[in-house]
Parts: sequence; structure tokens; C-alpha cells
Amino acid sequence: MVERTGGEFVREMMRWHFSPETGSPFWLKRAGSLGFDPLTDVRDFDDLGLFPNVVDELRDVGVRELIPRGYGDEHRASVYESGGTTGQPKRVMYSAEWHRGSVEWFSERLDAHGVPRDVDWLSAVPTGPHNVGAMAVDTAMLRGGLNFSIDLDPRWVKKVIAEGRMDMAEAYTDHLIEQVGYILASQDVGVLFATPPMLERLAQRDDLVELVDRKVRAIVWGGTHLDADTRDLLRDEVFKNATFVGGYGGTMMLGTSVERPGLGADEPCVFDSFAPYTTFRVIDPDTGQVVPYGERGQIVVHHMSRSALLVNNIERDFATRIAPVDGGFGDAVADVTPVASFGDTAVVEGVY
Amino acid sequence: MLPLDVLGPGGPYRSRRQETIHDLPGNPVANLSLAPSLYVTRALKAMRRASALPFDARIAALARAGRAFATETIAGLTPREYQHTVSAVTGIPISVVRDATADIALAAERIHRTVENARPAGAVDSWRDPRAKDGTAVWTPRGAVFAVHAAGNHPAVHQGWFDALALGYRVAVRPSRREPFTPHRLITALREAGFGDEGIALLPTDHNVADDILRHADLGMVYGGADVVAKYAGDPRILPQGPGRSKVLITAETDWEPIVDTLVESISGGGGVGCVNATGVLVEGDPSPVAAALAERLAALPSLPATDERAVLPVMPIDPARRWDTHLRQRAAGTKAWLGGDGIVGDLGDGSAALRPAVHQLDSPFAEQLGMELGFPCAWVAPWDRDAGIRPLRDTLVLTAVTTDADLIDELVAEPTISNVYIGDHPTPWMRHGLPHDGYLAEFLMRTKTIRR
Repeated sequence: MVERTGGEFVREMMRWHFSPETGSPFWLKRAGSLGFDPLTDVRDFDDLGLFPNVVDELRDVGVRELIPRGYGDEHRASVYESGGTTGQPKRVMYSAEWHRGSVEWFSERLDAHGVPRDVDWLSAVPTGPHNVGAMAVDTAMLRGGLNFSIDLDPRWVKKVIAEGRMDMAEAYTDHLIEQVGYILASQDVGVLFATPPMLERLAQRDDLVELVDRKVRAIVWGGTHLDADTRDLLRDEVFKNATFVGGYGGTMMLGTSVERPGLGADEPCVFDSFAPYTTFRVIDPDTGQVVPYGERGQIVVHHMSRSALLVNNIERDFATRIAPVDGGFGDAVADVTPVASFGDTAVVEGVY
Repeated sequence: MLPLDVLGPGGPYRSRRQETIHDLPGNPVANLSLAPSLYVTRALKAMRRASALPFDARIAALARAGRAFATETIAGLTPREYQHTVSAVTGIPISVVRDATADIALAAERIHRTVENARPAGAVDSWRDPRAKDGTAVWTPRGAVFAVHAAGNHPAVHQGWFDALALGYRVAVRPSRREPFTPHRLITALREAGFGDEGIALLPTDHNVADDILRHADLGMVYGGADVVAKYAGDPRILPQGPGRSKVLITAETDWEPIVDTLVESISGGGGVGCVNATGVLVEGDPSPVAAALAERLAALPSLPATDERAVLPVMPIDPARRWDTHLRQRAAGTKAWLGGDGIVGDLGDGSAALRPAVHQLDSPFAEQLGMELGFPCAWVAPWDRDAGIRPLRDTLVLTAVTTDADLIDELVAEPTISNVYIGDHPTPWMRHGLPHDGYLAEFLMRTKTIRR
């Protein structure tokens, strides 16, 4: 994966995905209904706005349709799915080439944060159809560590919470924390990879906090949002001995972005994407225009690699737009939060 | 701008996530810090580990805090500045806020009597009591940490949790985001008076975190509408404080004309914003003359900015005021409007409006509007007869029964869903420290144990 100018990279990706020899059956078929010619009309990043957001089509399409022909039989694809928050999960395929590059990049970012190598990991992140579990396994291995994995089914948790069965959600989390506890107590864990809700639950157990303090040198978090106040508390009050590294990613992004190293404690958590393959734009949801740096807007994600083309995907998250490092592509994003839900303005009777 | 910090066991905490509170014309007044879930969890844990002050020290500290609340500069605000801020933000008439300040101080000073009154007659306070030698009942708390989802309709609702503090609970208050000023001031005063940072906390949160406060406390109290009552109805750890639906009943043999003042006070006293304000007026015989008299009297109340000394009506921004107006008309369809039929919006010309009184006449004591309680003077006058019985009088916080019928009074006093019965010429908002408001809170917080030593 080599550095290229943006336009050149974008055109190369268009050629890969829309040439009959290399493109996937999905995109070759879909090209006819785009209303523009990706090979001639898409010259640079800004032209990606021409594409429709196709992620919803990934709920039904056969995954083999997504494999670019250019790989031939050497794709060694893995299939991953979204969390299924908004209905039937979406499915994508990660080529072995992409997965390896993604893990290597992630590992380099961890080096930049001083996350130790040659230590074992405890990963309390979703496995199964979700990519993050595989990232954990392979990143730990690449860095010379073993990975102790806790199985975590976010779809089940979301379902029981949506049904208001908080007692069941609690019981499930207790069950997970119990397993985390066994590993923390018996194994020499140097890196803890977990979702923010798992870290919050861990923080309630003084005995486990003590174990983390004694053993864990870096905490990598991701998978769900972590608000700035909770991040401060976890880092400054609860797990004081560990380096914190955050990730913002997802299956539809085909990977993650990673917290920028070297920022002060009072600065917001800035995420840099794996450019040029994954790039962000922060837009005004009403006008579609990119907001000025420092302003908040909705995140648009472009993924463009030989593995997949998933561009112009409007995420439900909001963030502050930040300049990319070293004049890179797209935007960096800070203070990512889910889109606020607005209560209706109907009146509620009563005096309280 | 006024910073309103979270007041947690580690001292004041200023979060990055803050909510700006505006006055009625829309000027920013204060920044309220919102505690994240993790903060709440840790705060309640620390409070649970803390030990309570001895009983006498608690009682003394409450009285001291009450005096400071009413008379001293607290968290940078004089009492006058505090009262003005509450009135300007909530639209509660300034005189009502001022009365509430004095009332809170008095409640704090007299809390000893309130909890003493609530204690079962056969129980003692401590195992050290000599009576424990032969075996006696000792009154003990059911938990250590009490959580409150407070209401913002009236400053004096915060008296409601003094009992828990007096009885040895550590108390965590989640303020209403509409009016966090009173609990912030009160809790600051209580901390300074001796309860310290771990004895009492102010935990403002957004809606998503609110339930965490209840979940991590032993017992809790929640103010809200019918939806809130339904939500917590099955939870023995939670005491819901629902709509008041206070009422007045006038039977045929009594003369209503001399007590019109009492009726007006019941409907509109304190701005009509309380759960103790009368919602329904039931009249045996023809209710029209009563409705006419009430309408005439209430129509005379002036529309004034809440901070005006003469203000007696609540004020809110004009848009929600108009929504209330629309809502009221929809709900009142088919009734006879004696007052407010042509609108309840008293436009003050500055983007806000006084909510003017409304009086509607219903044709049946079973009309569903009778239970419709609103945050301004709004009464539903209905006919009542002996055949209707006490069914229309159920689910009532305060019932003023203007009657001489002892059998009827027996029935009303025995009715479990009527919390308080005032017989004769007493306004529904009447309260006295030491007497229960909706039962003694201690009935929920305490239990008896036999001790023998």
C-alpha cells in the first residue's frame, strides 16, 4: 500500500471496481443504474459525493457478489456483519490483503501510543460476525502476544435493552465481567481491549480495578462511543496506570480509525482514519456541505480499497471536524457522539 | 453565567457536557454540569461507604442549613439573587418563590418533629434505649442511600426528602433540569452545615443516566405524571409521587358563598403550580353559581412578569404557552367554559406569557377531565350527588370536604386513594410541618426491628 496523490488513487480504485476484469459482480451490475460513469466522472475525493449510499443493499446481496474478480481465487475473503441495530445486518467481505494491511496499520498506531509489544491481550469485544474480534486476535499475534477472548454478542444486548429488560441486560453483563475476572486474575494481561460499557462495568468492581492497575499497561477501547467526561473519569480516576487508546470504526468502514497520539488531557479525542482507504467528511446534514474546521456536523465515511468500495455512507454519528495530519486526505473527527434524538414537543399533563 | 456544578462525594465536579439554562425571554443564565453514568455509579458507591452523622448532629445541621438557605449568601448568590433567578427562569411568581424559601427553612428547622411524629408509638430510636433491656421495637432504616428524581414545579418540593436525611440516609438528588437552582443552593448549604460531600449529593444527569441513580440507590422517590407512576408501580424500592388531582367537595346543606376565598385560594394559591392546588370542584346541586363566582374572581388576576412583586400567575415562553392553550381547548371540548374559553395566553409582549386561569363546567362527576391537572390555575367544576358516591373523589392528594355529613367524612377518611382530608373551610394547599403530605416518607424509609439486650 503506497502513497499516492488523492486523484490518482481515486481513479485507480474506480478502474479496479468498474473494469469487467477486476470489479465485483455487485458493482459491475450496479454501475448501470448510477446515472454517471465512475470511470470518467469520478476524478477525485470530492466526486465521491456522486455515489448513492448503497450500504442498505448489503442486507440482501449475496456476499460472493461483492468479491472483486481481480482477486481471482486468491481473495481468501472473510465475511463480516454490522451490528444489526437498524434491522437485518449488513454483510461485507474483507479480502485477506485488506485485513492484513488494516491490522498492520492499527498496530503501527498502537506503537505511536507506546502500547507495549510482546504482552498478552484480553479482548472483551464482539467476535462472531463482527470484524473487531478478528482485529484483536490478529493484532495481538502480530505484536507478539496471545489473545484471551471473551465472547460478546452485542445484538442480544441491544435486543433485551430495546425490550426494556434491563435485568436481563445486567445479568448478561455480569456474566461477561465474571469471565473477564477469571482471565485478569489468572493470566498476565498487558493490554485490555474492550468496549466502553465493559470498561464502565469493570470500574464498578474494586477487585478487578485493582487487577487492571497491577497488570494492564494499555487499554484499547472501541466498538461504541465513549463520551469525553466518562473518558476522563476512566483514565484519570479509575484505571490510572494504563495508557488509553480509542478507536472509532465499524464493519461498514472495513476497519477503524485510531485516536491521535500526543494530545493533552484537556483536548478532545481526535480520530485519524486509515487514509486514503478510509476517509471521513463532516457535513451539515441539512445542506450536505462540509462544515468549517472546528464545527460539528454529521460524519460521512468513504471506504475505497481493492477489497471494497463503500463510499458516501452517512453515519448516524456527529463529530467536530478537525484537519487531517500532515495534509492527508479527508477530515479527522473529534468528540464523536451518536445523533441526538429529539423528544417531541407534545405537552405532558401534570405539575411535575 | 452561573456555573452549577455537580456536587459529588469528591466535591464539586464540572463536566464537559453542560446544559445552558435560559430565562423566559431566552437569555442564558446558568451552565448546568451533567454527570455521566460512571460518575453517578462511583458517587453512590462512595456515599454508601460513608457513615451518617449522629442523629442530633443531623437535626442541628438541617436547621442550620435551612437558616443559611433563607438568609445567607450561598454559592455566590444572596437569597434575593437566588429567588430572582428561580422566578426569571421558571416563571413562578417571585412572591411564591420567596414564601417557599421561608417554608423550606422552617421545614428544615422542624424536621425533628416530622420524623418523631412518624415513628410508630411503640418503637424507640436506638438499641441503647433502656427499654431495649426487656425487648422493644427499634426503628431502623431500610437502606443507606436514598435517591430522588426531584420535581421542578415548585421550590418547596425539596422539603420532601429532608426526612430521609434526618433519618440517616445519604441522599442523592437528581434535580429537574428546569429548576436546579433550589436543590443546588440547598445541598450546598447542607454540606456546609455538616453533612459534608458524602452525606448529600446533587447529581444532574440527562434522561439516559437518570435511572442509574435509582438503580444504584437502595430506595428512591420519583416525581412525575401518570406515566412515571405506571413505570415504577411494580418496584417496591421506588416511591412514585404522581399527579395531585386535589379536589374540593361541597355538599348541598353547606353554604358555599362565604368560602369563595378558600376556593380561589385552593385553585390559584402559589400560582396554581402545585399538586395541592385544586383540580376539581364537585358541587352537590347546581354547580353553575359556583363556577360563575370562581370565574369572576379568577378573571381579575393580573398578567404580569413573574419577577413582578404583584405577579400571581405562572409565566412561560409564548410558544409552549400556546401549545398548552391548544391542548386545553382540545381536552375541554364539550364542556362549558366559564373562563379561559377564549384562550389562556396572557401575552406579556417579551416572548413570554402568563398562563391565565381557566374554569370549565362538566356535566357529570365522572367526566374524565376532572382528573386533568395542569401547572396553572385550572379548575373543573362538576355536579355531584350521593348516588355518585366517593368514586369521583378517589385518587386525590388533598380533598377539602365542605360538608357536615359525618358518614360521608368517615368514608372519605377511610378511602386509601385520598391522601389528606380537610373538613370545611380550609384551602387545599394548607400544610403544616410535622403532618404528612402524602403519608410520612418515613413509612417508606423505615421498618421496626425487635431488639433485646
